[in-house]
This record gives sequence, C-alpha cells and structure tokens, in this order.
Amino acid sequence: MVTKEDIFKAISTVKDPEVGFNLVEMGLIYDAEYNPETKHVQVTMTLSTKACPLHQMILQWVEEAVLRELPEVESVDITLVWEPAWNISMADENVKKALGGA
Amino acid sequence: MAVSTDFAPPFKLIAPYFLLGTLSFIVSVLMLYGVDIDDIFQTSPQTIAWVHLFLLGFVMMVIFGAMAQLVPVVLEVGHFAVDLYYAIYPLLLTGSFMMSYGFLHSPGLLPYGGTVVLISLLIFVSETFLTINKVKRFNTVMVSVIIANLFLFLGMIFGITLALGFAGEIAVDLHALLKAHIYLVLFGYVGTTIMGISMVLLPMFWLSHSFSWRPVKTALWLISIGVVSVVLASLSDIALFGYAGYALTLAAYGFYIYQIYIIYKTRVRIEEDIYKDSLLFSYISFVVALLLGVAGFVFSNERIFVAAGFLALVGFVAFLIIGHLYKIVPFLVWYERFSPLVGKRKVPMLADMVPAYSAKFGFYYNAVGVSVTTLAIAFDQPFIFKAGVSFLLIGSIFVFKDILYMINYKE
Repeated sequence: MVTKEDIFKAISTVKDPEVGFNLVEMGLIYDAEYNPETKHVQVTMTLSTKACPLHQMILQWVEEAVLRELPEVESVDITLVWEPAWNISMADENVKKALGGA
Repeated sequence: MAVSTDFAPPFKLIAPYFLLGTLSFIVSVLMLYGVDIDDIFQTSPQTIAWVHLFLLGFVMMVIFGAMAQLVPVVLEVGHFAVDLYYAIYPLLLTGSFMMSYGFLHSPGLLPYGGTVVLISLLIFVSETFLTINKVKRFNTVMVSVIIANLFLFLGMIFGITLALGFAGEIAVDLHALLKAHIYLVLFGYVGTTIMGISMVLLPMFWLSHSFSWRPVKTALWLISIGVVSVVLASLSDIALFGYAGYALTLAAYGFYIYQIYIIYKTRVRIEEDIYKDSLLFSYISFVVALLLGVAGFVFSNERIFVAAGFLALVGFVAFLIIGHLYKIVPFLVWYERFSPLVGKRKVPMLADMVPAYSAKFGFYYNAVGVSVTTLAIAFDQPFIFKAGVSFLLIGSIFVFKDILYMINYKE
C-alpha cells in the first residue's frame, strides 16, 4: 500500500534547479493520494511563482519521479493550484534559513 | 500566468544576442576613450556614435535576445515566426556599427546604417505584433509590451528621418526630431520594457509574494502619457507639453522605484549573489541619476544633467542588463543541456554555472568605473574620466568572458 509519505518521499527526489531544494521541503506539494484500486496517484501542488519558466517540466519531473520511485503506481495526475498561494512559511526550516525567510 | 516551455526558442538562436551584445559593450567602452567630456554637451560625433553603439549594439541587442525567450513567457503564446530572430541580430549589429562609424567618420553612411537598423527593428516589431495578435486575454505586462513596441516603431520613423537629415539628404528640424527620437526610444521603449519585464523577472528571481502591483501600473500609464506629451512638445513647440511630459516621466519613475522597493522588501531570497549586487547598484544609480537630473534641470547645470544621463545609461541600464544576464544565461544553458537529464543522473544547479568570483571581480571594476566616470563628467576631469573608462573596460571584458564561460559550461 502506497502512503502519502511514500509519495512525498518520491517527489522529494525532484529539485528546483534555481534554489537547489527539493519540491517537498520547499512546501510546494500540498497533497497526494493513492487509489489502490486504480493504482493511480493524484498530486496537488503549486509553484513558487506563476511566471516559472520550468512550469511544464517540473510537473513532468514530479510525474516521472512518482512512477520511477513507486513501481506499484501505474498512473499519475497532477493538479496545479495557485490557491493558497505559496509563501516561505510553507517551506521547511532549513529552506527558510538558507533562503533567508526564517 | 501559465507558461509553456514548449514555446521556448533554441538556445543557439538566443546565444549570439548575448555574446554580440556584451562584445558591443566592450567596443562601446573603448569608444569612450575618444569622447571629450569638454564638448560632451554639444552632442559631438564621438558622443552620438558611442550612444548609438551602446544602445543599439548592447542594450537593444540583449533586450531583443531576452525578448525572444520572454515574449512567449509574457504573452503565453508561441512566437509567430521565431526564426525571424536569426535575421535580427546580424542586421542590428551591422547597422549599429555602420551608424557609429558614420557618426565618427562618414555621415554619408548614416542613412544606410540607419536603414539596416530600421529593417532589423521592423522585423522585431512586426514579429512581436504578429505574436501579440495570437493573444486572447491581455494583462498589464502584455499591455506594456504593446505600448513599448508602438513607441519603438515611432522612434524608428523619427530616427531614420533624423539620419537622412544628418546626412544632408532632407531638410528637417534636427533638434526637435532628436528630442522626440530620444524620448520615444529611450524612455518609451527601453523605459517601458524595463518596467514591464521587471514585473515578471524580479518577483520570479527574488520569490517576492503578496504585494500590490498598483505602483508599477500607475508608472506605466504615467510614462506613456509623458512620452506622448514630450513628443508633442518637440513637434509643436508648445512648451507646456514638454514640462508636463518631464513631470509625468519623473512621477512614473518615482512610482516604479517604489514598486521595486516593495518587491525587494517582500522577497524571500536574501542570499548575496551577483544578481542582487548588480540590481542594487543599478537601482541606486537610477535614484542618484534622477536626483542629479532634477538638480541639473533646476539649476540649469548642463554638466550635472549629462552626468545624470551617463549614470542612468551605464549605471542603471547596463547593470540591470548585466545582472539579468547572470540569471538568464545559466537558465537557458541548463534548460537546453541539463534539463533532459533530470532524474537520470545528477545535474548541476543554476548557481553552480555562474563563475561567482569572476562575476564579482567584473562587478567591482564596472561599479568603480561608472562611479569615477560619472564624477569626472560632473566635475569636468578629462584625465579622471579616462581612468574610469579603464576600470569599465576591464569590467566589461570580465562580463563577456563570464557569458562565454556560462554558454560553454561543462561539468
């Protein structure tokens, strides 16, 4: 059985090349859910800026990471949301400290 | 704003803009050795030649290269015909050098150089408008792109008329046309483009959130009306239009600087890097240039006024461009070379691709160079001016070297 933690761990292999932190510690992944019947993962996430030029690539990396790290998953859907808008308080302490938001 | 990387042009198309632009920057700095600051106010051929190579060969070249990448980001549609950008940079470079040479040694060359530049700008403006034509829903940044390109188009018409007049082909009021040309291109195109693109790039690189856009929106409207007002004044001789235009421009820049301050204060990323240093120096130069400009205007001191103009160009515009090059070039190289390898093997971070010490070195030389040359103009010190130019020369060479390094980055 794939848990939410497993999915988050899989997505944590994806790093934002601009800031150097993974998407989970950045606080960009809002939710993740696994349906054991359909073997489908639904990820709800945001990006740090609407103007991110890597928009599509990051979504593709998230999908590839889940399929690569969790062999039992057969399909992934990503819902990109802008509400609630990302802010630094959503990031882990190490990110806040490194970026200067702490 | 939903951005598609599908619309991204190939890096081999954009790289020449940044390489040729920074190379033109070096040549334009070399040309400053020939500028006599005693007659810098008389719009001497050396000064005009330098201004044209600096603005067309460096500023416009880099802006156009950046726009090849940013237009799809800002407009959220693909280019109408991105391959046209392969024609823009050779024409712009050739025309810029022909014009500079024409001003210095052969005025008869000016209409030809001007026409070559005009063709390159026409291709750029046409491609941009045809791309804009695909947009379904407009936002403020898109409107700023439209306004900026309209001003550029009008500025080109005035410019080519001016070149014909300067070469003695037609009889026109050179002074009136020159004022309209400068205002349309410098404040209308470069100024509006900087304002509009700042709205995308600064919050993106600094991760600024939850702030009001009202100041920059106000600034965009004020500068647009200001530019039209000054152009009307130069064509009609109604002085009131001119004063209103200057006041509106000043007010616009006040709002714009306030917006930058808001973005800076709400930024998440506060690490020290070449981007932050360059932008801080750029905007401080801009504030000082505005204050000097007002002082020069109020006290009718032409020397201070010219020093303000020089600081605005080389301190504000050049540092803003150079700072962004250290962000944009690594991103484009990374996107082209390393993004396909994500998940397959370890890839470098964008910051790894910036030669930090070399960039810092270039920054300090350029910063000292701009400060010394501006003071030398203000206090009429030709020898000190040349010393400052030497600092700028070393700084500009470092910028070019760093661009080459980032373009050829290997792990």
